[in-house]
Amino acid sequence: MANRTIPRLLQTPAVLLLLVWMLVPLGMTLFYSFIRYVLNSTVRPEWTTPSWSNWRGFGNYEFVLNSKDFLFAIKNSLFIVGSILSLTVVLGVLIAVLINRSFPGRGIVRVLLISPFFVMPAVNAVLWINMLLDPVLGLQGIAVGAINDMAAGMQDAPLVGWFFNLWPVLEPISFRATQTSAIAVIMMVTWQWTPFAVLIFMTSLQSEDQQQKEAAVLDGASRWSQFRFLTLPHLGRPMAIVVMIQAIFHLSLYAEIEIVSRGNGNKNLPYLIGEFTNNNIGAASATGIFAVILANIVAIFLLRAVGKTLME
Amino acid sequence: MAIVATTSRFSKIAWPTLAWVVALIFFFPIFYMVLTSFKTDADAVKPEFLFSFTPTLENYANMTENYDYWRFATNSVITSVLATLFALAVGVPCAYAMAFNPSRATKDVLMWMLSTKMLPAAAVLYPMTFLTKNVFGVFDTHFLVILVLCLINLPIVIWMLFTYFKDIPKDIIEAGKMDGLTTWGEVKEILIPLAWGGIVSTALLTFIFCWNEAYWTVRLTTIDAATLSKLIEGNRAPEGLFFGRLSAVSTAAVGPIIVLGWFCQKQLVSGLTFGAVK
Repeated sequence: MANRTIPRLLQTPAVLLLLVWMLVPLGMTLFYSFIRYVLNSTVRPEWTTPSWSNWRGFGNYEFVLNSKDFLFAIKNSLFIVGSILSLTVVLGVLIAVLINRSFPGRGIVRVLLISPFFVMPAVNAVLWINMLLDPVLGLQGIAVGAINDMAAGMQDAPLVGWFFNLWPVLEPISFRATQTSAIAVIMMVTWQWTPFAVLIFMTSLQSEDQQQKEAAVLDGASRWSQFRFLTLPHLGRPMAIVVMIQAIFHLSLYAEIEIVSRGNGNKNLPYLIGEFTNNNIGAASATGIFAVILANIVAIFLLRAVGKTLME
Repeated sequence: MAIVATTSRFSKIAWPTLAWVVALIFFFPIFYMVLTSFKTDADAVKPEFLFSFTPTLENYANMTENYDYWRFATNSVITSVLATLFALAVGVPCAYAMAFNPSRATKDVLMWMLSTKMLPAAAVLYPMTFLTKNVFGVFDTHFLVILVLCLINLPIVIWMLFTYFKDIPKDIIEAGKMDGLTTWGEVKEILIPLAWGGIVSTALLTFIFCWNEAYWTVRLTTIDAATLSKLIEGNRAPEGLFFGRLSAVSTAAVGPIIVLGWFCQKQLVSGLTFGAVK
C-alpha cells in the first residue's frame, strides 16, 4: 500500500518526542549510576564531572544497598503504598456498593464524593497537616481540647461524676514525627484516592449481570452471599486495575512527603533520590534505577491487563 | 421479568442516610478549608469561632499582597492551557493515524507510549535538572514547564483520543476519501466534528492533570515559571499563624478545578484506567 507514508508521518512527532523524553534522561541516569559522580568534592575534584574514567561498576548500587536510608526508604515506600492500597480498595468497594442504588440526592452524593480527587496534592498536604491534623491549632487539637474540657466539666456532676473522674486526659498526636507523619501521608492520600476507587468500582458495578442477580434472589441467596459470590468476583478485575494504577502513582509520591515530612526522617524512594541529588549523583542514579525496576514490576502486569482490552 | 427486591423500610432509609454521611465526611476537609478562608487569621485558630464567626473577604482581597497569587495563577493557566493544546496538536494526528490506519505495530506503539507514563519521575531528576540548567538553559521557563507537562500527559491524550476515534465508523472516512478530501480535510471536515465531545473531554482532563502536577513544576522552577503547586508547597508550614489566608489561597487554587472535575467524571474513568474498566 502506497499510503502508509502519511499515517507514519502523522505519528512521527509524538513517537519522537516520547522517545527522546524517555531515552535521553534515563540513559544519563543509567550512565551516572555506574560512575563516581559527586557535586562537591574538594578531595577528589575529578569526581565532580561525569566521565567514563570515573567508572565505578556496581559500586553505587552496592553503596545504596548497604545504606540504612535506602532500606528504610524501600520499607517505608512499601508500607505507605500498601496501606493506601488496602484502605482505598476496601473503602472503595464498600462505598461503591453503598451508593449503587437509587436514592434522593444520589447525584449530589457522587459530586461530593469525587471532589477530593481533584484537589492538587500540595493543597491536600498543607490542608491536612495544618488545618486538620495540627495537635494544637488544627481540628484535631480543637476536638481533643473540647473533649477534655467536657470531661473536666462533668467531673462534679452528680451520678456520672465518678465516670469522668476516671476518664483519662487525652493527648493530641503530633503528626510531624517520623512514623506519625507516614500515617498522616497515608490518611491524606487515602482521602484523595478513595473517590477514584469508588468511581471505578461504580462504573464496573453498573455492568454487573442483573439477570444473574435476580436468579440468585429467586434461589433465596442472602444479601451477603450475593455480595460475596457475585459482586466481589465481578469486581476482581477492576480491583486489580485500581491496585496497579495506584501502586504506580504512589510509588512516586512526592509532594505530600515533601510537605509533611521535610527533614523529619520519613522518606520514600523519590524523596531519598531528592536528598542524594544534593550531592551524590551516582547514588541518586542507582536509587533511581531501583525505583524504575520497582515500578516496572507493577507496570508489566498493568500493561498486560490494559493490552487485553485495548484493541477490542 | 423484574424481581422487586424485598427491602424493609429500615434499609430504605438507613443506607441512603449512610451514603449521605459518608459523602459529607469526604467533602468535609474541602468544606472546612472554604469555611476557614472566610475567617481572619486570628479567628481561624480559635475553637469558639469554629462554625460561628463574622465572615470576611479580606483573605481573598489580600491574596496578591500576601502570596502574589495572581502571578502563580497566571503561570498555572498559561502552562496548563498551552501544554494541553500542544499535547492535542501532537496527539490528534497520531491517534487519527493509529485508529484509521492501524498497522501490526500500532498496539505495541500504544503500549510503549503508556509505559513511558509509568517511569518514576524521580529517577531522572538529576539529568533533567542538569540538562535544563546547564545544557539548554531553559530551567524555570514557561517553555520548559509546558514541554514537560505536555510530555507526561501525551500518552494519556493519545490513548483517550484513540479510544474515541476507533468508535467512528471507517466508512465515513472512506467516503471522504472518495469525495477527494485530503488527509487534512478528513481531519478537519469529518474527524474533529464527529469526535468533538471526545476531544473536549480529553482536553479538560489533561488540563486538570497539568494544573495539579506537583513534581516537575516544583523541581524545575524557582520563580519565573512557578505554578500554584510551587506556591502552596512553599507555604507548607505556616505555624498556624496564617490559616485564614492560606485557606483562601488554597481554595482559589483548587476551586475551579474541582468544579471542572465534576463535569468530566465519566472521562476520568476511561482516562485513568486506559480503558481497562468499562
